[in-house]
Order: sequence, then C-alpha cells, then structure tokens
Amino acid sequence: MSAGDSLAGRLSCCALAMAFIVGLLHLAVRLREVQVVEAADYGYILGRQAERRVQTGGTRGRIFDRNGSVLADNRESVSIICRPSFFKKRTWDEIASGIIAAISNVESVVGRPSPVTAKDVRRHIARSLAMPLPVWRDVDDGELARFSERESEFPGFAAEVVAERVYPQRRLAAHLLGYVGRDRGESVAGDEKFNFFLPELRGRSGIEHYYDGFLIGVPGERKLLVDARGFTIREWTVVEAKKGPDLRLTIDSGVQRAVERQLRGEIGACVVLDPRNGEVLAMASAPGFDPNDFVPVLRTEVYERFAGDPSKPLLNRATGGAFAPGSTFKPITALAGLRAGYPETAEYNCDGVYQLGMMRIHCARRWGHGELDLRRALMKSCNPFFCNLGMDIGTNALIAAARDFGLGRRTGVDFGVDSPGVVPDGEWKLRKYREKWFQGDLAQMSIGQGMLLVTPLQMAMVAGAIGTGYSVMPHLKADMAPVRRPLPFAAAHLRAVREGMRMVVAGDGESGGSGWRGGEGVPVPVSGKTGTAEVGRRDRRRNNTWFIAYAPSEAPRVAVAMLIEDGVSGGGTAAPKVAEILKAVFNDG
Amino acid sequence: MTAKLRNFDYLSFAVMIALIAIGTVSVWSAGNARTEAVFHGTWLRNLATAAFGLVLYLAIAFSDYRRWLGLVAAPAYCLALALLVAVLIFGSEQFGGRRWLWFFQPSEISKLCVIAMIAWLYGGEDSPIAGVRRTFRGFLIAAAVVGLPALLILKEPDLGTALTLIPAAVVMLVVAGVWRRGLVTILAGGGIAALMVLGAVYEAERPGVARERRDKIMRFVPLRDHQVRRVKTFLFQDEDQTGAGYNLRQAKIAIGSGGFSGKGIGKSDSSHLKYLPQAVSMNDFIFCVYAEETGFIGSLVLLALFGTLLVLGCRAAFLSADGGGRLLALGVSTLVFAHVYVNVAMSIGVVPITGLPLPFISSGRTFLITAMCGFGVIQSVTIHREVKKR
Repeated sequence: MSAGDSLAGRLSCCALAMAFIVGLLHLAVRLREVQVVEAADYGYILGRQAERRVQTGGTRGRIFDRNGSVLADNRESVSIICRPSFFKKRTWDEIASGIIAAISNVESVVGRPSPVTAKDVRRHIARSLAMPLPVWRDVDDGELARFSERESEFPGFAAEVVAERVYPQRRLAAHLLGYVGRDRGESVAGDEKFNFFLPELRGRSGIEHYYDGFLIGVPGERKLLVDARGFTIREWTVVEAKKGPDLRLTIDSGVQRAVERQLRGEIGACVVLDPRNGEVLAMASAPGFDPNDFVPVLRTEVYERFAGDPSKPLLNRATGGAFAPGSTFKPITALAGLRAGYPETAEYNCDGVYQLGMMRIHCARRWGHGELDLRRALMKSCNPFFCNLGMDIGTNALIAAARDFGLGRRTGVDFGVDSPGVVPDGEWKLRKYREKWFQGDLAQMSIGQGMLLVTPLQMAMVAGAIGTGYSVMPHLKADMAPVRRPLPFAAAHLRAVREGMRMVVAGDGESGGSGWRGGEGVPVPVSGKTGTAEVGRRDRRRNNTWFIAYAPSEAPRVAVAMLIEDGVSGGGTAAPKVAEILKAVFNDG
Repeated sequence: MTAKLRNFDYLSFAVMIALIAIGTVSVWSAGNARTEAVFHGTWLRNLATAAFGLVLYLAIAFSDYRRWLGLVAAPAYCLALALLVAVLIFGSEQFGGRRWLWFFQPSEISKLCVIAMIAWLYGGEDSPIAGVRRTFRGFLIAAAVVGLPALLILKEPDLGTALTLIPAAVVMLVVAGVWRRGLVTILAGGGIAALMVLGAVYEAERPGVARERRDKIMRFVPLRDHQVRRVKTFLFQDEDQTGAGYNLRQAKIAIGSGGFSGKGIGKSDSSHLKYLPQAVSMNDFIFCVYAEETGFIGSLVLLALFGTLLVLGCRAAFLSADGGGRLLALGVSTLVFAHVYVNVAMSIGVVPITGLPLPFISSGRTFLITAMCGFGVIQSVTIHREVKKR
C-alpha cells in the first residue's frame, strides 16, 4: 500500500519536479531583472560608493619680468606622507592613535617634529581618509636621507615629490608678486564631479592671486578605489594635469631693484611706469617681506611677526595705501584754474600766510614769495597762491579736474589691490562726518591736504598724464594693448603746467626749484613736483613726503611717484631718491 | 556490485561535483577578500570537508537504504532531538542565535534525521504506524514528529532552517497521503499567520506611524528584534540603506553590477572592497560573490545545475518502487530546493533575509556534509530502485 499505489505517487514526483523548475525559473527571471535590465544602475551605484575622484593641480606657470628674468619659479620639494590605509584597525580611534604613534616613531628618525597634531590626524581620518596625509613638507636632504635609509621600517610612510613655489630674487617685488598658499585637501560634499581637491598652490595675494586662474593650468584627475570604510585600495591617473602657462610682466627687474634700493630702511612706496602705454616698470612698497617665507606653509611665528609689526610689511602701499598728496596735487589745481579761465600770467601776492577766518595756512617760505605767477608758484610750491586760486574757481571745478586725472577711482590696474582713494565733496563729507562742506575744506584741498587721499600708483599716473597729455590705464601683464584717454585740458594749459613742473627741477635761471635734487645727475631733463603732506595730530605730526616726476621732460618715457612716510620734505627726502631711480633707468638705456 | 554501478546516477554525481567545484572557487574568492588571513585557507578546509563528505556519500549510496532505514531512523531522530536540546543549553552564541555545538550545527543535521524519520514512519514497510498513516492519529503523530524539532530550532532561533524543513516535511506527508484535511488546515493556517505577521509589521513600521501604536502592534508579533528588522528591510527595500537594509542593498549591488557576463573569477569588487558584509560573504551571501564574478550567465549555469540535480532527485523518487525511498528522495530534494530558492531569492530581495546557506557553494562544513549525505541517500534510492526482496 502507501507509496505502493504507484500512479498517484509517481504523478506527485513529476509535479514536484515541475514545481522545482518553475521556482528556479522564477529566480532566473528576477535575476535577469537585476543582472541585465538594471545592471548599469547597480554598476553606477557601485562606482559611486567605491570610487573617489581627485582633482590634481598642474605645476604653476612661472612669472618673468619684461626681460625674461625669472621672478617666480617652481622647485621640486620632498614631502613625507602617510597613507592611512596601512593603519587599518577596528575603530577609528585605534587608527588615529596608530598613525600618531607611527608619526612620532618616524619623527625620531627624521629629526624634526612634525607640524601635524593629533587633531589634524583625526580630522584627516574623518574627512579625507582616502588621501595621503602630508606629515612633513619640504624636508631637507639630511632629513630625507635619514628617512630613506630606514623607510622600510615604517610601512605607510613614503617620500613624495611635489612642486613648491620659489621666488629666486627673494624680497624683490614681494608685494607685487604676492605669495601662494595651500587650501586644505578636503572632501567635497554633494554630487560634485570631484570628491577631493589636492591641496594645490593657490595665489593668495599680488600677481599670484590676480592671475591665479591663468597660472594654475589645467587640472588633472585621479581615481581612487576605496573599500567600504573609505581606505584607498588602488589609485590611478585618469587625466594628467597640465602645467600652467608662464606669465610675463611689464616689470623691469633692474628698475625694480633700483627702486627697492631707494626704499630700503624707509616706510613708503614707489611706482615707476611708462606713461605712453601704462606698463608698470616697477612697483614697490616698504617695508617688504620674503614671499619664500610662505612656502610650503606660512609658519605661525612668521605670521605673528608680520601681524604684530606696526609698519605693516604686508600692506602694499603702492596701490593699497591712501595718502594725502600734499603739494603734488598743485599741478591739478593749476590746470583746474586755467580751465576755469584764469590767465596763465595772472599773479597772486604771497605774504607767507593764507588766512581764511580762523584758519591760517602758512607758506613754506615764512616771509612770503611776493607777487608770483602760476609757473613760479609751482616751482616754489607756494601755498597761498594755490589757496587763492582754488577759492576763486570753486569746489566743483577743482573736484572735476581731480576726477579727470582718475583720482577717487580705481585705476583699473590688473592687480587685486587697487584703492580708489578719496576725492571729497560736500555730499561725501556730509555722509562721512555729518558736517557741511566749508570754504576751508576747499582751501585745504587746493594744496592737496585735508580729506583728499591718493595712492602712489595714481600719482604716477597723474605725473605721466601731465607729461604726455593723455592718461593710460596701468597694467602689469606684458603685451597688453594700451587703453588711452586724452586729458580734457587744453594743450596750452598743459604746456604752462609742464613748464612749471620743469622749473621745479631746473629752476628759472635766478633761483632753484623746490625739487631741484630730483634731476641731479639724470642724463635727461626731468619735470616733477614735490609734496610734503602733514599728517597726524598736532603732537605727533609727521610729514609724508612725495616726489612725482616724468622724464624726459619733452617726451616722457618714464613717470615716477615716490612716497616716503615720515620724511623731512618732498624736495629733500623723496626727490633725490627719484633722481637715483631715473639715473638707473636712463643710464641703462 | 555491477548492478549497482549500472544503476548509479553518474549525471547527478557529476553535477554535484561541479557544484562543489564552483563552491570552492567562490569561497576561495570571498575568503581572499577578507582581511583576516585565517579565511584565505577556508576553501582548502572546505575541499577537505568535501573529500570526507564524498566518502560518506559513496558509503551511503552503495548501501541499501532499505536495510538501514528502519534501524537508523528512530535512533537518529532521537539523537537529533537530544542535540537540539543540548545546543540550547551548551551551544555558543553567534550572530544573535544559539546554533553551534562544538564544531557543528545540530539544526543542519536534524534536517536529514527528520526526513529519514518521516520516510520511515510513512513509507517504510516496517513502519510501526503502517496502519494508521491516513487517519487522524497518523496526522497527530506527523505533527509531533515535525513540530518538536521545528520548535526547538525556532528556539535557537534559526528561522531559515525551520522554513526549509517544514516544506520538505509537508511535501513528504502530502505524497504519503497523510490525512489531507489536517494538512490543508495547518498549511492554510500557517500561510495566513505568516501573512498576518507581514501585514502587522508593515502596519507598524510604515513611515508616519505613532510610536505607541507601533509598540502596541509589535507586542502581538512573535518575532525577535533582528527578525523584525529583516522583515522591515524586505518590506521597505529602498528606505533604510545603512542599517539593516545595508546588507540587502549591497547584495543587490554586487549581483547587479556583475551584469551579463560578470567581472571574472576572483574579481568581485563588492567582497574585495568589503562592501558586502564580511561576516556572511562566504556563507549566506556567497551567491552575491559568485553572481558578481560570473554575471547572469553564471547565475543561469548555477540554476541549471541545481535544476538538473533536483529533477534527478525527483526521477529517483519516480523510479523507486519503495515508499520509503520515494519519500527520502522527495524530502531531500525539497529541502535542497528550499535552500537554493530562499538563498538566491533573499539576495535579490524577493524574500526577507534569512541565514541560509546555498547548498555545496557556501562554506558551511556541517551543511556541506549534510547535503552530500542527502544526495548520497538519493543515489542509494536510485541504485536500489528495483523491487527486490531482501
């Protein structure tokens, strides 16, 4: 009986076999869905979770001066890095302490404490586990030799060559070139193309900053294969990074060096440019710094030295500092007067002081110049003359002239720091000081004092514009088409002012001008204007001394503005320095 | 002996060897992916176990099951019950269950013992209950024979084993013609109960359900926490991708990313990069490793091999003139089918995740031997299919 009743038993065997086949076919159908229909989706998901894309930076382009001498270069620098995937442990804490312990082991061999702290290690594990951690940057030959000798004892550590920035001329043109820094190489959240950005060098100030996008080149791509915890298993390069193009500047190292020699030990700034096309030949600010101190990273003590220095060595005074122009503004007052219809032969009497209500403005010559015309007023830098002239033409005419020279406005130079300065007017004063515009303000402004503020770059442009008759936009990158704008002043008026400025240096045959030392020893005729601006409160009054110049007088090829903070006078302090610079320019060709 | 060799099912044997070979390669790949060096040699241990299993297989195959079924069934069954009790008391805890006794899992062995017991009681000619098989008493005895070990296994808990043993037992009892009304009632009841549990978990864990309501419902759900989590993961497959859903998601990613033709032997990214849960990649999730490496083609080959093996098992039952032999063959086949189906289906989210090995492929030594012994029994049924009086 039982299973002996064969037919039913045998039928159920067949039925069961059918059931098995149906079951397995069901699996096959579902597997086809996963492995054929949706395969691409799952492949993509696996890629998303298992691959990390890293953007790699190319080598930065070099920076040259106009004659091809290198201002910023790259050098090979060795870093000792630590790969976290060699420190796999069960918990993150164990991994971190494993790495920290290993670093201190390597430390004893390298012989220099690593700047990487325990906090840095934890942070790296949390944010960029897949990437190597740079433990020592820029190790020297001795350190590298000691490490390499025993490298095999420290699994997970390796020496890696990276490009570091180097400024072969050291302090030369430091403010101009700027410096570089590194971003942290951290992961990026969200669905970005890249998960990590290698901590490549980015320009932080100066030309390095302004032309960062140009110098940085085309980034490459690396892929990392990471496991479920994020450790890198394998890595390969997808796209090789391309080197950034080189940048040629309008700067002339020789002139720059001459400028910096004159600024040594001073606090001040100087700009030398070609007024015909706006090419900046030299631009310097003092005190300076060595941009190499920022490589590979800015050390804390260096930064604190900079931050704590009252003379602000990181400030680029040439374009970022705003100063009262003092008497160097007088040519603009003169042009404003001529444009307003005052004949160039008209004379004012100078008795040594200009008085307006309670306000007294003294002349440099205490007993006065007597009757004098515009040219001689420029030559002698007579304060009462220009106060009277300014009062006669009025605020609006003066302001318009100042603005026609680009004062109170950014110059448009291809540089990150480009202070507009201040050309004050009634509205501005009301907004800033909640005070009306007084006649005294006008008198002060006529001689470049008061609330008027300019940068040395702007004053170099003013000097050049007077010399050539048109203003140009200054620029630092070589081979840029000049942007010229004619000055809205009559040629005859300009001629008169030029004559005055020529007399500042050359004198009128009877007596010398206030800036006679500005042409001393220079092989070409120089025109210029001195300036001595009184700044600070009564008890701590200092003189910001200026000399602006262009040369040769009849067809200017060079315009200079020199500012020395806390000098004696424009003619005594700044003018001789400008003469030295002009000698360097014209003696070398 | 020549008669035996003539009746020997060479195809079934060859398929089994092929499956063991596939399993060895898969375990080698999954083991190499693990950090712990001790697992790099697991495939070798598996091979040694397979060699030992082969001896048992041949020994069982060439001995006439009709001669020992009556002698062995009852003692083996009692021994299995004793081991199941022992494991609850002395067993070592692992992955939230008390399943291991010394070096083996009693629940795996008990599967064969229960099958043998049912085959003997409801098919053997020397069965003590030969007269009452189709009566209510026969049904009660069957319920006790299956229910007792099933309850002990659920107590471990090893839901997967219970879920494979029950279909095997039910198929055997149906074929044996046990009191149908009782069976239907139990099956329907079990099915309804399972659906109710699923529905209750769904109702309770649905997003936006208040905590008190959830707790109130869950008080009536007879599942452990980890089981509830698995059911939840199954019901809401795309929601939780980090916690309990992580395993399922990674399993699907592994299988799916294998694509049509696979990534090549030993090149499973999911296991080498440790996205696939390491603890189970060599056992319950071995199919993911295999499917990622060999693709849809490999999956089809594997399913075809299992299909061949199972159909040959049904053939053995079909050809057998003996009730006991037929039940044995059907029971073992159903048991293996249930393992294959549940294991593959859970990897692609067709059924909830349960800890079940894939026969011959997973690196479980107890179950490998169990499965080989099972097919040894089927081979024995095939060989000794002619009606022959002792």
